[in-house]
Amino acid sequence: MSTINFATREINFKIVYYGPGMSGKTTNLVYMYSRLTDDRKGQLITLDTEQERTLFFDFFPLELGEIQGFKTRFHLYTVPGQVYYEASRRIVLSGADGVVFVADSQASRRPDNVESLRGMLENMASYGLQPGPVPVVLQYNKRDMDGILTVEDLDADLRADSWPRFASVATQGAGVLDTVRTVMKEVLSRFE
Amino acid sequence: MSPLSKVIMLSDERERIEDVLDTLIEKSGSLCAILITKDGHTISARGTTSFLNITALATLVAGSFAATRQVAALIGEKEFSILFQQGASRHVHISLVAGTAMLIAVFEDSQRIGLVRLHAKRAADGLAALMSVSRERTDREELIVAQFKEFASSLIDRIFSE
Ligand SMILES: Nc1nc2c(ncn2[C@@H]2O[C@H](COP(=O)(O)OP(=O)(O)OP(=O)(O)O)[C@@H](O)[C@H]2O)c(=O)[nH]1
Ligand SMILES: [Mg+2]
Repeated sequence: MSTINFATREINFKIVYYGPGMSGKTTNLVYMYSRLTDDRKGQLITLDTEQERTLFFDFFPLELGEIQGFKTRFHLYTVPGQVYYEASRRIVLSGADGVVFVADSQASRRPDNVESLRGMLENMASYGLQPGPVPVVLQYNKRDMDGILTVEDLDADLRADSWPRFASVATQGAGVLDTVRTVMKEVLSRFE
Repeated sequence: MSPLSKVIMLSDERERIEDVLDTLIEKSGSLCAILITKDGHTISARGTTSFLNITALATLVAGSFAATRQVAALIGEKEFSILFQQGASRHVHISLVAGTAMLIAVFEDSQRIGLVRLHAKRAADGLAALMSVSRERTDREELIVAQFKEFASSLIDRIFSE
């Protein structure tokens, strides 16, 4: 839920990157962080395990700048994708204004994508967040790998008819900025 | 929950909230006092904060508080009203305000924990009263939403073409 603070004159939005373990959520954040100039970003926080798997969340604030005297920023988060961390995943999703679902294109990960999306919708519902009023953007990541699903198969698995979607290679940055730009705009268009 | 935004606080409550935080700092000898929302946005920060990344602190405290709330539920409690983190030379005292915000006090002398606890409790009560007032009123006239959206949208394009 976006927050408007008239005292500190700030407006904040929250965007959460969701998806199965190892799909590339952290890679998305790290890439966009590397591309933003210093005045556009606050500190990047990563709470991860020794194996660099997300344990709680990654986070950084993306500063849009000042609009009508209000400092406007998007708080970007990733959830931990590993099945085991369900409770933490749910916490991070709370209050999201927009969601990016990062799917892993590898055919072997097909059931994990489907299960993660199902969990995401269930967790959103538990907070009264409805896809639609809360925009969802899909990202089909790891398009550079062998043994990947076709875009049509991913579309069919992930109900892509209703949501904007992007193919990506997050490690190379392909599709990363298009995805974040789209979710930010979708969030903004619903602001009232 | 609707996607409608939440107004945290209006300008005229600002000074009163700052007064409460200043009193807490003075009476408890804390370095700083910071009020944040449950979802990790800073409402007000007072005292010595130059050594701190406040946004990062707010996000992490909100995250850890949310996690301990789940821990509370697991053992049959509604929530823990206080969190205390003891370091070698600096300590953090976190208390819940009216179920919707958190008050963070950072202090150095561990002997003062009792004082911090007492005055944080008083401050939390004072803040709860102030915040219930601001929840009742919504005054959005200062923000012209259509213009805001248009300008923000063009900023997004500009940032990603830099
Ligand atoms: N080949 C290829 N590898 C990728 C791509 N995106 C991410 N990876 C790799 O996949 C691994 C996992 O990436 P992360 O970004 O840590 O995945 P995550 O979704 O944050 O994983 P969790 O934190 O466990 O949920 C890393 O080794 C990345 O380098 C991609 O597009 N192509
Ligand atoms: Mg990760």
